[in-house]
Amino acid sequence: MKIINIITKSLREQMRSFWVLILSLSMGPFFIFVYFLILETSKPQYTVLVANNDKGVMINGQHINQGNHLLAYLKRSKADTITIPFTVDEVTDKITGIERLKNKKADALIVIDNSFSQTIENRKANDSTAAAKVEFIGDLTNTNYLISAIWANELLNEYALQTNPKKRIIDVKETALGISATITGFDMIVPGILIVSLIMLMFTASIAFVSEIENKTIIRLKLSKLTAFEFLGGISTVQLIVGIISVLLTLLTAILLGFHYTGSILIMIIIASLTSLSIISFSLIIAAVTKSTNEVLVVGNFPMFLFMFFTGAAFPLNSETLFTVAGYPINIQGLMTPTHAISALNKTLIMNMDVSSIIPEIVSIIILTVLYFLTGGIIFKQRHLKLT
Amino acid sequence: MIQKVCFAILVFVIFNSHNNLIWYNHFPTKLAQLETMIKIEGLKKRFGEFTAVDGLNFEISRNEIFALLGPNGAGKTTTINMICGLLPPSEGKITFDHLGKDRKSLIGYCPQENIFYPKLTCLEQLIFIGQIYGHSSKSIKNRAIELLGLLGLEDKTRVRACNLSGGMKRRLNICLALIHDPEILILDEPEAGLDPQTRILVRDFIKTFGKEKTIILTTHNMDEADRLADRVAIIDHGKLLLLDTPQNLKRTVGEGDILELVLEQSNEKTMNRFAENIAMLSMNVKINAESVLIKHLNIIEQLPAIKHLAENSGLIISEIKLRENTLEDVFIHLTGRTLRQ
Ligand SMILES: Nc1ncnc2c1ncn2[C@@H]1O[C@H](COP(=O)(O)OP(=O)(O)OP(=O)(O)O)[C@@H](O)[C@H]1O
Ligand SMILES: [Mg+2]
Repeated sequence: MKIINIITKSLREQMRSFWVLILSLSMGPFFIFVYFLILETSKPQYTVLVANNDKGVMINGQHINQGNHLLAYLKRSKADTITIPFTVDEVTDKITGIERLKNKKADALIVIDNSFSQTIENRKANDSTAAAKVEFIGDLTNTNYLISAIWANELLNEYALQTNPKKRIIDVKETALGISATITGFDMIVPGILIVSLIMLMFTASIAFVSEIENKTIIRLKLSKLTAFEFLGGISTVQLIVGIISVLLTLLTAILLGFHYTGSILIMIIIASLTSLSIISFSLIIAAVTKSTNEVLVVGNFPMFLFMFFTGAAFPLNSETLFTVAGYPINIQGLMTPTHAISALNKTLIMNMDVSSIIPEIVSIIILTVLYFLTGGIIFKQRHLKLT
Repeated sequence: MIQKVCFAILVFVIFNSHNNLIWYNHFPTKLAQLETMIKIEGLKKRFGEFTAVDGLNFEISRNEIFALLGPNGAGKTTTINMICGLLPPSEGKITFDHLGKDRKSLIGYCPQENIFYPKLTCLEQLIFIGQIYGHSSKSIKNRAIELLGLLGLEDKTRVRACNLSGGMKRRLNICLALIHDPEILILDEPEAGLDPQTRILVRDFIKTFGKEKTIILTTHNMDEADRLADRVAIIDHGKLLLLDTPQNLKRTVGEGDILELVLEQSNEKTMNRFAENIAMLSMNVKINAESVLIKHLNIIEQLPAIKHLAENSGLIISEIKLRENTLEDVFIHLTGRTLRQ
């Protein structure tokens, strides 16, 4: 039971490396908090301007202005929509509207033609007359314009269907995957950040391994009856505990800040544990090629940045599939376990897919963990644990 | 009459000041049980082109305190690392009498630089090291407390190792080497960084311990080797220069002891006559204004003869001073330089 002795000793040392522990545990919750602040304060706001030039028509002695009706319809629709913050403002003329667009005070300008009502009335009487004219003005390179324009166009069509008694030809129904209908930008980044909190283990774990070499206490371990398995296993267990605490703290912070999720927490913990083990195994490679904490801090940055920024952990990422194995796409980031872990978390926490759907991810993580561990373990044993 | 009193005092002083009495007391019993514990044959270690240890051959007996004495870079630590198994020899063989134990339990190692877990307390790390040698926590805790007490660290059991003073760290390291109750204790410069008082504490500890266990220690401190070791191996440039008891080394190698005879009244004629007679015994003599200096290896054995010649020559001696040959002299004689160089 020497592994228990290593675990106790390692746990003590980890607790007494207070600042390192606090820093690595707070990284995940901190990232969550920062993302929350950024997404909250930069919630998109779409402003659509309307310049109504419509002169109106006299029908049965009554003055009717379809332009005004359309404007009222747009304003009303805006109140119905919850998820898209859409504001409609009236401007006196096209010139003023364009001026506001140029100053980025608005995203799109809708200009209603002066014969708008007249044309609609003509059309009602006779189908073959020209259609009423509405002009969209905006910066086509700006996504805000595109979203505003699509939205406004949708409302315009709906308004046209209401004024014209013609039947609707196509009725589109939208079905959201999992909880994606109610999902926010914040929800989407959480699975990645859960994994970021585990990537931070790369430092605590490498330092835990390397401090034995730096203090030369590895000599005492080598001379004793401790096996390499007990040594590596003991330290890994402590780091696994740190990893699980870290991911739970991150999840808790996210939930407190309004993270929506489905699926089971247990599966999340299983995925997180496997990922932790893979990161710990990778740390062994770092520890095997370094001799001191300082070297770990320099050498460790390289894989840490790769794991953070090229796996979709720090922000979502798409890439070309190199090939597929039994239908599961493999790409270059697939060599890094966080890629699979994030994919698995997205499937279970967001899409509410069942456990069988994440089997390819789980298998990939396990295979990579074994590869990391063997590489790191062999080099570490050869370089640091061998007795003649 | 004065001469007789002086000789009596001299003999008393010699025997007491150097603990020779104790040494003679226990060595014969040790000699009786000379079982080889470690046998080193043709041991060599090369680092690239450089040969750090160059063909060492010696045997270390059970319950012996064996000192490796040599200047910086002589190859002491390298030799010890090979004995511990931390370094593979380039050539040669090291064999142990295992006494039914496995090799790992057999050896306790106190390295030259202090090696410990800075964040663990003294007690915690002793218990941990004991445990990974397979001892139960309970038995090891008692042993740890006992060891800390023996080395004067009883107040420090719950202090983290990083907060100990330099000398305390050194003592903790000796405890760490002993915690699993090894048969062979290897100490690489155990007294480095200790104050005179603590040095005596550690020295006594090593001596007591060495009555039942085999100890190998390295040092550049002649005094330490002289007082502690049953046998001293002098090595330089990786080669064994001489191996013997400190007593024999001092008796047979070096510049010799210096006996100073302070005279009651100087008489050139009697002094010269005495010097001629002494020279005939092939001893070095030097005449000063009021004293005669005689230099010879193991001069104590020659005291009766010197006394006889002095009486015959009519010298009246008021005081006798003796400066014994030291291991330092032996060392300078062998290597042509002092240890500190
Ligand atoms: N790993 C190594 N690589 C190259 N040379 C080495 C190595 N270890 C020791 N040496 C060399 O071997 C020689 C003997 O070193 P060693 O440490 O055994 O000396 P020492 O007798 O213990 O000296 P000191 O009294 O200073 O501790 C030195 O010249 C040293 O530079
Ligand atoms: Mg040395």
